[in-house]
Amino acid sequence: MSAARKHAEPARYELPGGAKLLVESSHAVPLVSLVVALRNGCTMDPPGREGLSRIALRMLRRGCAGLSSEQIDFRIDVLGGEMAVDTSPSTVAIHAQVISRNLEAFVDLLARLFGAPTFPEDELARLKRETIAEIIEARDNDRVVAQKAMQRTLFEGHPYGRSASGTTASVDAIVRDDVVAFVRRYLVQGNVVVGLSGDVTGEHATALATKLVAALPAGPATVDEVTEPKALPGRRLLLVDKPDRTQTQILVGALGTAPHDADHVALVVANAVFGGTFTSRLMREVRSKRGWSYGASARTVVDRQRQAWIMWTFPAAEDAAPCLKLTLELMEAWVQDGVTAREVAFIQRYLVRSHAFDVDTAAKRLHQALDVELLGLPADYYSHWTDHVRAVNAAVASEAVRTRIHPADTLSVVVGTATQVLEPLRGAVSNLADARVVPFDLE
Amino acid sequence: MASVDRKAWAASVGGLTYERAHAFGVDTLHRWRLDNGLTVLILVDTSAPVASYHTWFKVGSRHERPGKTGLAHLFEHLMFNETENLKAGTFDRKLEENGAETNAATWVDWTYYYESLPADRIKLAVTMEAERMARLVLREPQVASEKEVVANERRYRVDDDVEGAANELLYKAAFAEHPYGWPTIGWMQDIQGFTPEDCVAFYQTFYAPNNATVVVVGDVRERDLLVAIRDAYGQIPAQTIPPEDIVPEPPQLEAREHTIRKPTATEKLLIAFKGPALGDADHATLTVLSEVLFGGRASRLYKDLIVQGEMATDVRGWVSTFRDPGLFECWATARGGHTTEELQRVMEAAFAKARADVVDPDELARATARLELSLLQQLETIPGKAEQIGFYETVLGDPTRAFDRVEAYRRTTAGDLRRVARRYMVDRARTVVRVLPESGAAEAAQ
Repeated sequence: MSAARKHAEPARYELPGGAKLLVESSHAVPLVSLVVALRNGCTMDPPGREGLSRIALRMLRRGCAGLSSEQIDFRIDVLGGEMAVDTSPSTVAIHAQVISRNLEAFVDLLARLFGAPTFPEDELARLKRETIAEIIEARDNDRVVAQKAMQRTLFEGHPYGRSASGTTASVDAIVRDDVVAFVRRYLVQGNVVVGLSGDVTGEHATALATKLVAALPAGPATVDEVTEPKALPGRRLLLVDKPDRTQTQILVGALGTAPHDADHVALVVANAVFGGTFTSRLMREVRSKRGWSYGASARTVVDRQRQAWIMWTFPAAEDAAPCLKLTLELMEAWVQDGVTAREVAFIQRYLVRSHAFDVDTAAKRLHQALDVELLGLPADYYSHWTDHVRAVNAAVASEAVRTRIHPADTLSVVVGTATQVLEPLRGAVSNLADARVVPFDLE
Repeated sequence: MASVDRKAWAASVGGLTYERAHAFGVDTLHRWRLDNGLTVLILVDTSAPVASYHTWFKVGSRHERPGKTGLAHLFEHLMFNETENLKAGTFDRKLEENGAETNAATWVDWTYYYESLPADRIKLAVTMEAERMARLVLREPQVASEKEVVANERRYRVDDDVEGAANELLYKAAFAEHPYGWPTIGWMQDIQGFTPEDCVAFYQTFYAPNNATVVVVGDVRERDLLVAIRDAYGQIPAQTIPPEDIVPEPPQLEAREHTIRKPTATEKLLIAFKGPALGDADHATLTVLSEVLFGGRASRLYKDLIVQGEMATDVRGWVSTFRDPGLFECWATARGGHTTEELQRVMEAAFAKARADVVDPDELARATARLELSLLQQLETIPGKAEQIGFYETVLGDPTRAFDRVEAYRRTTAGDLRRVARRYMVDRARTVVRVLPESGAAEAAQ
């Protein structure tokens, strides 16, 4: 196997008040990417106010001292910049990018947004209406509908089941005091990790990030109190009923891996064999041999606590039942028989050799370092990734699958038209303990 | 290695010619040609130990005929199957084993294939691509299976996708004669009717070295790579590519309008004007105008429809980047309770203002900055650079045109914007598609 070129990790700096800075310089293109991340995610949104963290961070650009929302939008654009909010269970962040000649002015603007937000009532009302409209519009996307249903059902009763964007009801319930309280509590120096990558030196980045963080009040880092989710027992089927579907979206989910599991990398390797590449078992059986779905994959989600393992296919409606039956059988065989030495050797070559594309840009290297910092990943998770992968063998990988993946406790979520697919799907899932139908516009 | 050295070197190794250097931003791109007509563009970029190998064919859905739509795209799928030296299923497997990401895309004017892989594996890409250019095997089982995969792709992207369905209808309505009127993915009955013989004929006609450009960007050794390319492709004979038989779209003399119903909660409006070809001087100007009208939160129609009017959740504009004149597409998604008629009134008012008044300097500066940011983002990665080079080479015959476009954006004046608004955004050259909810779905939005 070839060795990927070794690269230094992003430089780390301490900023005032306990904030951290990570910098990865590259002068290949005159662009700078910025990330301002909080150590809390949407799991901290209060019950009944799901979507608050996203709304609160979006409100930062809706008005600050001396600038209206419209003026802020104009300034971001004319500097050749962009800014967006990303929300996940364990962290929320502002991601920005700007043409490097305007970096100083852009950071000055961000400092004003962070330091003196005004949260105008009319802007909050408008943002809420926009967000509710976006939630309704997302119902057009069957894959998004399936993912939302999987998340809320697989993690029912657990914070991971909460929607990052919220529901129409929860967004409607958010008031200005909620936004102000969120920002006061979480957008504080000790809770912030700043990342800069691209056409900027470490020295310049430090000066800029210091300016940015100085705009924030002092305050502590958030402590994540989310506990390990528990699997709901039995095989379940959830049909999300949507009219006139010629095609279905099928997600099969179960609890998967946690990054500090001793067998975490082994499971990631085993999953890559099963459904992680274009020539994986799933793709070969579902697409290549049968042509049932344009895509077929399985992935392990990584977060601070144990997260989901999910298979995805999207067959035509008439193939939904046989496709689901097949994928469940493939999963059972994977758990029972494991993976072969030959398969593991192949996937190791793929993972090690393709690792070059995990680190080929400054932004990617920065994001890996941010993940380690924000998700509490092992310190060498990415820096020694290829070593971890090489250390796996077939026995260890197979054992990881047997330990972590439980075919008897899976949730199959299907977006389709109930009158057409429900009964065939019931017949496709052996030992089915529970089957429900929900409308596609539930959220 | 200087140009004179490159010419001399090419003469010494035989089988290829060095043509010229192109400035590509701060980089230099070198153009070579094999004796069989294969164009090779190489940009050495040592920023990461990776390389991207693209093969762009000058064939797309414009080269199809009625009854055989979707063939270029189906064929793209089949290129990942069996060759004389690779059993079915081996192509992807071999590349994956070497850490490669591989994929392809087909559109109206072109089809391209790429591998992005560790730089020390680049010769594998050379071998594999040459192999399938010359020695693809097309059998019934693979054709049948891929037809089903493509049928599922069509369901995913069009039949069950509101925007996909609207867009397909738009182009069908806007282009009565030109092949841009049929979808690249093909009509379902055409997809299901293809035979292996159709695919063989297509392959033999269009998949020739003199109809292709290889683009390589990455941490490669130019001379070693060229020798490998010459050795792998040199024996593939050039083909006579049939002259195109395209009927230009006649001028549109009256507005067209269609309505479809879909299981969606909200109405959608698609207004399109006949637009310029990518190579037309007006294309960059109209792109700037599109940015003024639709680009980002500070754009006119975002403010009018989403912020102030609160009638829409999404507005977008796009000037098609086609070899022949295409469309200037304007899209809006209504919020629940609002109608396409309301959206259209606001959009038409903005179009009228663009025709009547000049854009102020701040708006022009904003639009230009956004377009510059967009180009830089496309050049951030090695695969991104390769794609820009291959695209502009294939459509316009000039791999560096992306940079010329940025200069064109900067030269654009407010008067230019008003002129193109008057030239292209005229009612008679307009096609409108409205998407309305099927009964019952609309209540879900309330």
